[in-house]
Amino acid sequence: MKSLTYADVAEGDELPALDVPITRTAIVAGAIASRDYQDVHHDPELAKERGSKDVFMNILTTNGYVGRFVTDWAGPNAVLKKVAIRLGAPNYPGDTMRMTGRVTRKTDGEVEVALKGANSLGDHVTGTVTLVLPS
Amino acid sequence: MSDALLDKLRGLVGKPAGPPFRAWDAVNQAMIRHWCDAVGDTNPIYTDPVEAAASVHGQIVAPPTMLQAWTMKGLVPPPSDGDGAQAELMALLDGAGFTSVVATNCEQEYTRYLHIGDELTAESVIEDVSPEKHTGLGDGHFITTRTDFRDQNGDTVGTMRFRILKFKPPEKQEKKVPRPAPPRNQDNAFFWEGVDRGELLIQRCSACGRLRHPPRPMCPNCQSLDWDTVKSTGRGEVFSFIIPHYPQVPFLDYPYVVAVVALEEGTRLISNVIDIDPHAVEIGMPVEVRFTKVDDELTLPLFAPVKA
Amino acid sequence: MTGTLAGKAAIAGIGATEFSKDSGRTELRLATEAVKAALDDAGLAPSDVDGMVTFTMDSNDEIEIARSVGIGELTFFSRIHHGGGAACGTVHQAAMAIATGVAEVVVCYRALNGRSWSRFGAGVQRRQPIPNADGVHYGWLVPFGLLTPAQWVAMFAQRYMHVYGASSVDLGAVAVADRRHAANNPSAWFYEQPITIEDHQASRWIVEPLHLLDCCQESDGAVAMVVTSVERARDLRQPAAVIAAAAQGAGPDQESMTSYYRDDMTGLPEMGVVARQLWAQSGLGPEDVRTAVLYDHFTPFVLVQLEEFGFCDRGEAKDFIAGGAIEIGGRLPVNTNGGQLGEAYVHGMNGISEGVRQVRGTSVNQVGGDGAVLVTAGTGVPTSGLILTSDN
Repeated sequence: MKSLTYADVAEGDELPALDVPITRTAIVAGAIASRDYQDVHHDPELAKERGSKDVFMNILTTNGYVGRFVTDWAGPNAVLKKVAIRLGAPNYPGDTMRMTGRVTRKTDGEVEVALKGANSLGDHVTGTVTLVLPS
Repeated sequence: MSDALLDKLRGLVGKPAGPPFRAWDAVNQAMIRHWCDAVGDTNPIYTDPVEAAASVHGQIVAPPTMLQAWTMKGLVPPPSDGDGAQAELMALLDGAGFTSVVATNCEQEYTRYLHIGDELTAESVIEDVSPEKHTGLGDGHFITTRTDFRDQNGDTVGTMRFRILKFKPPEKQEKKVPRPAPPRNQDNAFFWEGVDRGELLIQRCSACGRLRHPPRPMCPNCQSLDWDTVKSTGRGEVFSFIIPHYPQVPFLDYPYVVAVVALEEGTRLISNVIDIDPHAVEIGMPVEVRFTKVDDELTLPLFAPVKA
Repeated sequence: MTGTLAGKAAIAGIGATEFSKDSGRTELRLATEAVKAALDDAGLAPSDVDGMVTFTMDSNDEIEIARSVGIGELTFFSRIHHGGGAACGTVHQAAMAIATGVAEVVVCYRALNGRSWSRFGAGVQRRQPIPNADGVHYGWLVPFGLLTPAQWVAMFAQRYMHVYGASSVDLGAVAVADRRHAANNPSAWFYEQPITIEDHQASRWIVEPLHLLDCCQESDGAVAMVVTSVERARDLRQPAAVIAAAAQGAGPDQESMTSYYRDDMTGLPEMGVVARQLWAQSGLGPEDVRTAVLYDHFTPFVLVQLEEFGFCDRGEAKDFIAGGAIEIGGRLPVNTNGGQLGEAYVHGMNGISEGVRQVRGTSVNQVGGDGAVLVTAGTGVPTSGLILTSDN
């Protein structure tokens, strides 16, 4: 896996887009890997009873995809300092989340990426990630 | 929203959300692998000791975004789980009708990456409770919690600010369950296809001319299998009706009216009477058809009072 | 009596489980308990049984019960469709089998966890849209929210009340009578819980024009009875309840619960078909009947049945029942066990047991005299009825 250096990136650089298929397996695997046993993340019947149309992805899993999206681009030597996200449209099974991002700031060895993950309902996640790249 | 409630909620700001929670397990390779598999993260620093050693990290590290996962209480929470301001806050809001919850924001800062064997403790404080806000999901309060994660030496390894919306589910949920569509076969498809086109058709025996509804393959009068249709004027009167209240099914709004409508042509059919207070419906009331799209898929021939 | 069926067979034994809202056991076990109790009541052994009849709606196969109870070879087994309309039909078929020599001892049974396993009154809301005749039939009802037995009956009731000027209070008289009778019946769910007409009027709407107290219960329980020849019954433990007449009936343009397309929507022509046969077979008439068990899943059809059997003229049931005429001490006490509104909803089979008790003289609300006892089955569906008499 290639690692970017601080010098490799410039403000305005686009990250390679990542399409994440939102399968039931992805939702349930993410929920269990993050030890989140809320029924809305694995039980469709109960999710419907609570007013949701189906099970949906939990926020911890979304965090995981955000981290992956950035380091898929930046490589193993990137060090994440901060991840701030805001959730919008839920990730329901059968949808696809397209993750896109752009370098918005580059100062004192730190790089800031603004990103979003959009599904057919709208923006599932918007946020920023701050990371350090080797010089 | 009473000020008294907000005062009570605000009184909990600054208090510990609950007792400090020490992670059930130390940071470990197994949970890291589950996480990486789940989100498809192939970064070798999480699972490959050789590549990890060669990286700036020098050893296997946990994905930083996993921070919160280490101190999730899991399927069987500790006995102390109901103690503290978080539980009190939730109970207050549940009691006031703000029964639903959704996570809206998460900010994590990482002081250092976690290594295999690190033992985390999470300590959370209620940082803010918003006044009642009107949101797309419903009216509710945002609750912000700040969590400090410390390692076995008491050193901070990361912090998290987590915001949830605790809201009242809207009274009238948008209908999510469609009305069951009537099955179609060779005997009855003409009727529903007519409805799809905005025509109310009545089956007519080609041999003796008798009208019949519901459709049947054979004329009970002359036993002919041949039939065609006539287009109804769509006018008739209420022959009988009911107002169901219980049990309630999700695809209808209560109360509603089901009626046996006697058409001008002489046949009867079952339908709903709409555009009228259910208790104003009477037997003998003149009604006329309204082709009504009840959802994306289904049009039904419903009836409304004839305007005088 | 006329014909080949009248007076040939008798109900020699009756059995039942307790009636509850949660039996705590399987429908199969309920059925076996009731069947064994009926055989014990008759003084017969399982090995004496060679025929079995139940409802198509029953979940317990004849052979499952036979294996469980220790019934051996069967020469006759049959099932009847149309829900509660099957009740007296089971005895009808048993009597035919006995009259023709096809079987000697026939057990009729019905067992259901009609409350704890499923909500019987919930109707057809989850029906799968398969385009067979059944699916198409419900396709005319379900999309419009016409879903439950209470709703199907209420549509009739509204028309009947409109045409004849009957009121909700008139319907309530049936509930009051049933609950008064149930109050004396320790086996009834509503034992010692009579109601007043004010209670009826104050109870919540289920589907206008029917209140909660116009609707029978949903019950768990089982009922069984043993039918054999009158001759054999004479040698058994209990006095024979002779089947003086038994009949089934479906009317013209019949639907199951929704016969809304007949010119007149205020009668039960299918019950008229049953009534004509019962009177003809037995040689009896309304004046010969001392008490009746009239199927009462909902109150309105009790009124209509009184008319179909000729106890009063069409539209005059509200006058016939006024002043307690269908209560104990009245001119025609009805549903002396408390009916399905007061005792339990076992799809009409518990009503047949009450008819037998009236013949034996063992009802908790015994009606004096030696007149015949009329029992009817489900209303609004193809149905059935019995006339039971003592053996003399």
